Amino acid sequence: MTDATSTHTTPPLKRALIYLLSHRAAGLFLFIVLLLGIVSVMNPAFLETQNIKDIAVQAAPVCIISCGLMLVLVSGEIDISVGSMMGLLAACMGAMVSESRGHLPPGMAIVLTLGIGVVIGLLNGWLVAYAGVPSIIVTLGMLTALRGVTEIVMGGSWITDLPDGIRFLGTGAFMGIPISLWTALTVILVSLWLVHRTAIGRRIYAIGSNPHAAYLAGLPIKPLKLFVFAWTGFLTGVATLVSVPQLSVVDSGIGVGLELLVVTCVVVGGTAVSGGLGNLSGVLCGVILMTMISTVLIFMKLGENATYWSRAIQGLFILGAIIADHWISRQRKS
Amino acid sequence: MKSSRQNISKGWITTAFTAVLAVFLTACGPGASNNESSNASASSDKNGSKKITICLIPKKKGLPYFTSCAAGAELAAADLGNVELIYDGPTDGSPEKQASMIEQYTLKGVDVIAVSPNDPDVVAPAMRKAREKGIKVISWDADAVQDARDYFVNQATAQAIAHGMVDTMVSDIGGPDVKAEVAIVTAYLTAANQNVWIQHMKTHIADTYPNLNLVAIKPSDEDQKLAFKVTQDLMKAYPDIKGFFGISSVSFPGAAEAVKQAGKSGEVMVTGLATPNSMKSYVKDGTVKSVVLWNTSELGYLTVMVGEALATGKLSSGATSFDAGKLGEKKIDGDHVLLGDILVFNQENIDQYDF
Repeated sequence: MTDATSTHTTPPLKRALIYLLSHRAAGLFLFIVLLLGIVSVMNPAFLETQNIKDIAVQAAPVCIISCGLMLVLVSGEIDISVGSMMGLLAACMGAMVSESRGHLPPGMAIVLTLGIGVVIGLLNGWLVAYAGVPSIIVTLGMLTALRGVTEIVMGGSWITDLPDGIRFLGTGAFMGIPISLWTALTVILVSLWLVHRTAIGRRIYAIGSNPHAAYLAGLPIKPLKLFVFAWTGFLTGVATLVSVPQLSVVDSGIGVGLELLVVTCVVVGGTAVSGGLGNLSGVLCGVILMTMISTVLIFMKLGENATYWSRAIQGLFILGAIIADHWISRQRKS
Repeated sequence: MKSSRQNISKGWITTAFTAVLAVFLTACGPGASNNESSNASASSDKNGSKKITICLIPKKKGLPYFTSCAAGAELAAADLGNVELIYDGPTDGSPEKQASMIEQYTLKGVDVIAVSPNDPDVVAPAMRKAREKGIKVISWDADAVQDARDYFVNQATAQAIAHGMVDTMVSDIGGPDVKAEVAIVTAYLTAANQNVWIQHMKTHIADTYPNLNLVAIKPSDEDQKLAFKVTQDLMKAYPDIKGFFGISSVSFPGAAEAVKQAGKSGEVMVTGLATPNSMKSYVKDGTVKSVVLWNTSELGYLTVMVGEALATGKLSSGATSFDAGKLGEKKIDGDHVLLGDILVFNQENIDQYDF
């Protein structure tokens, strides 16, 4: 039997499944629509504008960081330090603008916060690309180390006097749409441009899908890896600026567990952990799905137990995505 | 050619950096960050009079709540004169790290270990080991497994705290006959303190306020953002909800901010446990009428007094009262040393406190 005939004999249902799983954005989109249908039947209040807006605002920082992390995964690396990085950047931002601490003008604090994000990203990238330490080890170390530095910056107390200028980034709106959503939209557009219209974007995919070929072709592997980590650091800074000022208190636990959520979104969105594969529409659907899950569970009024499910579901999605990838690659080979 | 310079064999550099990283991590880990502990085992001074080393371990270092307890502990150490105090704890609130810190301080040979366990079962073996070595072990702030400690320094009975929060809520939303839906935003679902309070809150509501309907209990995982999000979601899913209990110092400000941003300040009340500084703005704008807590500085003070008395033999089992210095006589109920009553912060008194 030849390849051609074997494709013809595949039952249509299976072919549809393969299509949906390999075009992750389409599959997730259908799943989101289905979930929306179920929850809005159970509780129509879910579809109210305010709720959709709240979910979007919660999704915005996750989406912003995911755009960066997707490129890290595509390049064949991983970054699990973003949660602690956000914690440290929040502490730095808070300490700089707080009237009882740094008392810097908000504009200067914004620039410095982004700068610190880039520097941490560069440090991650340098350790991975130039010193040759596996990225999982570097960023796992950073996850602990940055949280430790956060404690030093905070000095045992919290920051409770954020000025209005900074709070506006988290609570303000422009033309009725919150600042964080405008920012996420901008980041998505820039990422689309980066991935589809620049040599850098194409080369990141090249070094991830076949490192050896990329090496032989003379691609600047190290600078590219340095770039994806620095870019993720920068975007973590952006996400910190638009999400942390939503709260009135900067504590030392901001961003705990965020790295897992972001990795989940990116992987569920169809980005291959092994590198070379991934697209923004899939990641975007992954972000929307993962951030709406816990809200959906509350709206279904399943009671106290729903809390336990929320985390189990997050884990199941990761496993499901990885099994789907594995299954598809086997289908393609046979 | 450019690519020929990209030598892939970098084994030694990898090793070197992994080593550097490992050192960095260890330096940030528990125990090593504390210089005071280096002379912990030198427990006698020149005159031969015994210096008592007390190690005070919070659930999480860096929380203002525990920092203010530690300030009280320092006062007690200064008042007593013969006490050397070490304040050290996990920076991430991990019970496993807490257990390994107890083991480290056991090896260093301190006289007293006072711990606020993150998870009583996880730290119990380490606490028992310390007791076997002759170290006096007490729990404070949150209780441990009973056979793993000599005494528990209890800030206020769980019942008093739970009843305090429910009564405060009822009076804030309209009096004893109020018919309303309320929800709890807790810390972790496994947090021992919070779970005991929740049990007492449930029975108190059932016994005294049958018209109060507890519709949901949600964890915030000690993440303000999550507390914010679940409060926001609960307000929409249960549009008639009238009150939220934020029963940890992280979930309370998160819940209050969600109510404030929804424009429901005054309409939906938030009460709970938190340090006053983080709640001042909400108390002033009316989102929160009362913040329930206890005197944290006195809790730290009492813990050190009890530790010293145990180590010097002044306090032995069977005692029914305890002379806590400037705090006066404190009641001992079985193996619980009771600090006293809850403290309620409101618009009138919150400015008197700064922590």
